[in-house]
Amino acid sequence: MSGQHHIFSGTGPPTGRWLGPTLVIASCGGIFLVDTLSPLDMAIAVLYALVVLLSARLLERTGLLLVAGSCISLTVLSFTIVHANDYALPSTMRGTVSIVAIMVTTLLCLRNQDATRSLREQAALLDLSHDAIFVRDTSDTVTYWNRGAEALYGWSREEAVGQKASALLKTVFPLARADIASTLIDTGQWEGELAHTTRDGRKLTCISRWSLQRDTRGRPMGTMETNHDITERRRAENQLHEMRADLAHVTRASTLAELTTSIAHEVNQPLAAVVTNGEACLRWLRRPVPDIRETELSVTRAIANARRASDVVARLRAVARQDDSARAPLGVAELVAESAMLLERDLSCHRVGLDLKLNHQLAPVLGDPVQLQQALINLALNAIQAMDGVPEQERMLRISTFLMAADEAAAPARVAIQVEDTGPGVAEETLPLLFTPFFSTKKRGIGLGLSISRSIVEAHAGRINAALGAGRGMCFTMALPIAEDVPQAIAKEALP
Amino acid sequence: MSPVPMITIIDDDESVRLATESLIRSLGFGASCFACAEDFLGSPERCRTNCVITDVQMPGMSGVELQSRLRAEGDAVPLIFITAFPEERIRRQVDAAGAFGFLAKPFDSAAMIDCIGRALQAGAAARQG
Repeated sequence: MSGQHHIFSGTGPPTGRWLGPTLVIASCGGIFLVDTLSPLDMAIAVLYALVVLLSARLLERTGLLLVAGSCISLTVLSFTIVHANDYALPSTMRGTVSIVAIMVTTLLCLRNQDATRSLREQAALLDLSHDAIFVRDTSDTVTYWNRGAEALYGWSREEAVGQKASALLKTVFPLARADIASTLIDTGQWEGELAHTTRDGRKLTCISRWSLQRDTRGRPMGTMETNHDITERRRAENQLHEMRADLAHVTRASTLAELTTSIAHEVNQPLAAVVTNGEACLRWLRRPVPDIRETELSVTRAIANARRASDVVARLRAVARQDDSARAPLGVAELVAESAMLLERDLSCHRVGLDLKLNHQLAPVLGDPVQLQQALINLALNAIQAMDGVPEQERMLRISTFLMAADEAAAPARVAIQVEDTGPGVAEETLPLLFTPFFSTKKRGIGLGLSISRSIVEAHAGRINAALGAGRGMCFTMALPIAEDVPQAIAKEALP
Repeated sequence: MSPVPMITIIDDDESVRLATESLIRSLGFGASCFACAEDFLGSPERCRTNCVITDVQMPGMSGVELQSRLRAEGDAVPLIFITAFPEERIRRQVDAAGAFGFLAKPFDSAAMIDCIGRALQAGAAARQG
């Protein structure tokens, strides 16, 4: 803190240390001599006020009071010497004015010293903060720059003060500056994430808190900006997210590979036996003398193996059906709102806007929230990824919920969730293929997203439909029966 | 006239083994079955067989390992592979080692008959030569 002390107290180098006091004593002596000896009928003693002013820069409270006391004493002494024999009202008045002037000056100086001290203490406190804190005036010029700012940005206080803050830090704002300014004027505060560049060119991400400083008449005077560096945290978060996404992909892909191998093996063995037994059976029959016993054996084995294959499929179904106990009445608007939170990151990565049109009055549907969310997220992720080739300002994901009226096919009214994008859409003839497993229009896609969504929706006795959007892009609709229309038993029967 | 050709079937899945055996016999060949490659290697059938149809994935010795073992011992008996999970890598490997077929289960019997026909012809040619 020695530097700080240096700036505020004015303790000079050793040679200059005695200059001030000498000047004070010399002026006192000079004024006293002129006041006492000069024949001028003037309030010379008023000049003591200058001595007080001079001392205020050199001395603390006690010293200043001492100097002021001395000045008043000297004034009285002078008066006593000069007017010992010819006491007169005008000269008494002049003496009194001088004394009042000295006292007022002293008082002002003391107040000023107090203000300076509290400012100094505040500045010292700001310097203790690890956050970068600076103050800039209404024209964005830096007027204060703390040590945290020096450490974070690499610019020293001397270099930063007087510069335009946003130019110095190459600030990138999350919204238009005018919007930030209007929030600041309205509420006196603003908080958001900024990108700054340090002196050596490193890019930083900072949580920035702004508070507007007003003068005594309430006019904006400047802004105090506190910046907390979250670059590392953000980087770690992004890395973690990428790792998680990669892991999820690998897990899905490898689970799928394992599943495929095991299904292929489990189903192909009995199928091979069925086919081969069938072929053998034909050959036994077509012999010059048909061998009825061998034929019978082949057919019996073929039947047994076909049963075995269907058992494998039944077991697979049972695995897929495991957690249907998690079904409960749930509101689709809430379902969409929750899914939207999970999509935030993908929306921002792909720079896609979200437009939710939710009807919160819809009747609940009966379902497993996790599965239905999965079905919806698959649709939404596809939509988000489909818009990569579209200009950023046109990317919009629209999710709406509404009641789908009963149709001629005697289907009861259903609750629908619609997912629309502004992507390029697909060719009309591709529409029927979209829900086919392993069909994908994406480079890295494994083609299961939509197929899984359809299985889930159909397991909930619902229907899923893909259409080309009204304008451009795709429009997927998940229609689910209303909870009271679905007796538990039917809901379970409808599972795949 | 040469005696009835003997065909060996090695598969750990009994139903596939029995079905294949039935098919082979319906064609008029003799058939012997083994549930694993090790059993076949230790049996006297090894000297009599004219062609071996083997599964690729089996507990213990795999079909591919059986092929290298036979070749390493100088046994040139023709081999036909059947598998429930065809992999291109394995197909190339067994083809390079002279396999007469690599069929995915469920296999087409015409394709199997064709493989057996070529295998027996090659075996006969080798004996005459």
